[in-house]
Amino acid sequence: MPEEMTSTSEHELVKRCLEGDEQAFRELVERYKGLVFALVARSIADRARAEEVAQDVFLKVHRGLPYFRGEARLSTWIYRIVVNVLAAERRPMKTEPLEGRGDGPPREFGTTDRAFEDVALRDRMEKAMERLPVNYQVLINGHYLRGLRYEDLAEALNLPMGTVKTHLHRAKRQLRHLLETEFR
Amino acid sequence: MRCDDLDAIIEAIAEGQAPAGDYDAHLASCPRCQARVATAQALDRLLATRETPEPPAGFTYRVMERVGREQWRAEQLMDVGFNVAVAAGVALVVAGAVSLAWSLGWLTVDRPTLETVSTAIEPWVSTTLSKGPTVALAAVLLTTALGLWWWVEGEASL
Repeated sequence: MPEEMTSTSEHELVKRCLEGDEQAFRELVERYKGLVFALVARSIADRARAEEVAQDVFLKVHRGLPYFRGEARLSTWIYRIVVNVLAAERRPMKTEPLEGRGDGPPREFGTTDRAFEDVALRDRMEKAMERLPVNYQVLINGHYLRGLRYEDLAEALNLPMGTVKTHLHRAKRQLRHLLETEFR
Repeated sequence: MRCDDLDAIIEAIAEGQAPAGDYDAHLASCPRCQARVATAQALDRLLATRETPEPPAGFTYRVMERVGREQWRAEQLMDVGFNVAVAAGVALVVAGAVSLAWSLGWLTVDRPTLETVSTAIEPWVSTTLSKGPTVALAAVLLTTALGLWWWVEGEASL
């Protein structure tokens, strides 16, 4: 998380929010807006829409707080809401089977000017990311976001840690396949 | 080992997490798989150095504004529900009391009284019915005006 919270302060914050303390909810938004906005904005290119969706996440957090039982970390619970909101925002897109694709030789990176290759690759990567299924997208975005731990991802997705790593590898493989085929 | 076999562990190789195995020999002799590893490594590097989008200025304020608006609407809805429930309750109690009084014979209305009431309201009822569309339009306009007033009041109080 951007700012680590102890479970006590987290519990305290939630308690204050439930008591109707507006300042407490403001504090909660301040603490988690970085994580929420980063995850959302990496999935939605339009900044104005991304902000609206990030606001929706916090509205859902506000509505859902009375049902937050404190079994998971608050950040994990919020992350789960982000995943659900993004999934609802974007109709899940199926990708074609990976097998039998990319018959031609894949493009090679790092053999010429790396900086130039990186700029070109970054552009293609962003486009390819949009084609990934939402759960893969959020998994990659979450994993590479500073402060979000494997444990958080595992808890939020309700998966064992090992499975999260496997899914992450699959997500990256699918991204690479898209780059090697449709976004060459 | 074939290229397809190696493809499943390219990401692990790129991250240096692949268990030692017999892929080394294939990788050393296969330019295609070397290119795949290079791509995976480049992706890993780019993903790790992607810019983190920052929330725009005033984000928290706008969230709190929406939360406040939503709360106000919920309270208004609850108020309306409460008022309707109270009105319905009062109406039920009055109707029950009248029925009870009627059935116990405490309340009687003789025919001349009924005729007097009927004669008094008859012109009003027939006039209203003859101007049905006008009355309906007036009701719609009044409801719209009240709705707009309620909405504006809500926006202004936030």
